[in-house]
Amino acid sequence: MYSSSQFDATSAFSGGGFMPSQPSQFANSTPSPARSRDTQGLISVTVKQISEASQSGDEKSNFVIEGVDVTNVTVVGMVFNKNVRSSDVRFHLDDGTGRVECIRWVTENLDTREMDALEDGTYVRVNGHLQSFQGKKQLSAFSLRPVTNFDEVTCHFIECIHFHLHSKLQSQGGALSQPQMDSSLSTPVRGASTGIQPALVNDFSVQYSADGLKGFDKMVLNYLQQPSNM
Amino acid sequence: MDTSSPAALVNGGLLRMHVGRKVRAVIQVVRSEVGSVVGKSTDDRQLVVKGSPPVPLTSYVEVIGVAENDNSIQAEIWTNFGDSFDTSNYDQLCQLANGEFKHLFL
Repeated sequence: MYSSSQFDATSAFSGGGFMPSQPSQFANSTPSPARSRDTQGLISVTVKQISEASQSGDEKSNFVIEGVDVTNVTVVGMVFNKNVRSSDVRFHLDDGTGRVECIRWVTENLDTREMDALEDGTYVRVNGHLQSFQGKKQLSAFSLRPVTNFDEVTCHFIECIHFHLHSKLQSQGGALSQPQMDSSLSTPVRGASTGIQPALVNDFSVQYSADGLKGFDKMVLNYLQQPSNM
Repeated sequence: MDTSSPAALVNGGLLRMHVGRKVRAVIQVVRSEVGSVVGKSTDDRQLVVKGSPPVPLTSYVEVIGVAENDNSIQAEIWTNFGDSFDTSNYDQLCQLANGEFKHLFL
């Protein structure tokens, strides 16, 4: 299992991107302090994933997606049924996997101008807070902007897949053997093979083959695949 | 909250898996005719998309509609995706979204 000199996977992976850190799910870590909303990043999700989210029982009334506490999410989709009211603007966001109601509370002229640019049928990125109202899930949007470069749409869905895989591996209790290692790591990962079958490592090779594994990543992957580490 | 009518992300080769159902695809416009557009899917297959394309049409367009057969779509929604687009990324996404990670989308 892990020794005390084991590199801290949580901090190694929390530097890049918006991955939520879940120290309580690693083998012998100390219990983590109560997590405030501020320590959460923005999770990329599809509307389908939102529809399947369950509510965690605690008083913070967070949602749980893929076993991870989620409050703030980012979604990319098309605006439909835009409805401008005096205190807020509501619309449905359709990302091809489903539709979710979004609410943008409007307090100043600045906010209404932002919403004016978003007509029905435009692709937008919405960052917001997941809420439940009268049994329905909704997104309280704190930031929206139209998509101008459509590679962003592709990228968003890839991020959703990435989050799903990341959560799945964390819940399996093993350290991640992703090819995308933090380059500041000087020592190869030891003991990380517990619970990781060869098949998982191969899945990642396939998934990231489009990017091409860089020299350092390949070295680590080769090291992990040595029989002594299986 | 409504997930009753998802659109499957497809390329040319995956279209046959969803005939008769709602799909979406990004195609590169080859030529525009009356009432339809002939385009190249992200896996380099020729597709015919029927409907009324927007004017003007950019090089890449996303179409959302019903798959008629394995090489044509009856499109309801057209979105210009600009003149540059990473088709290989999108193509890989289509494979993943119809394969191992289908449950995140459909």
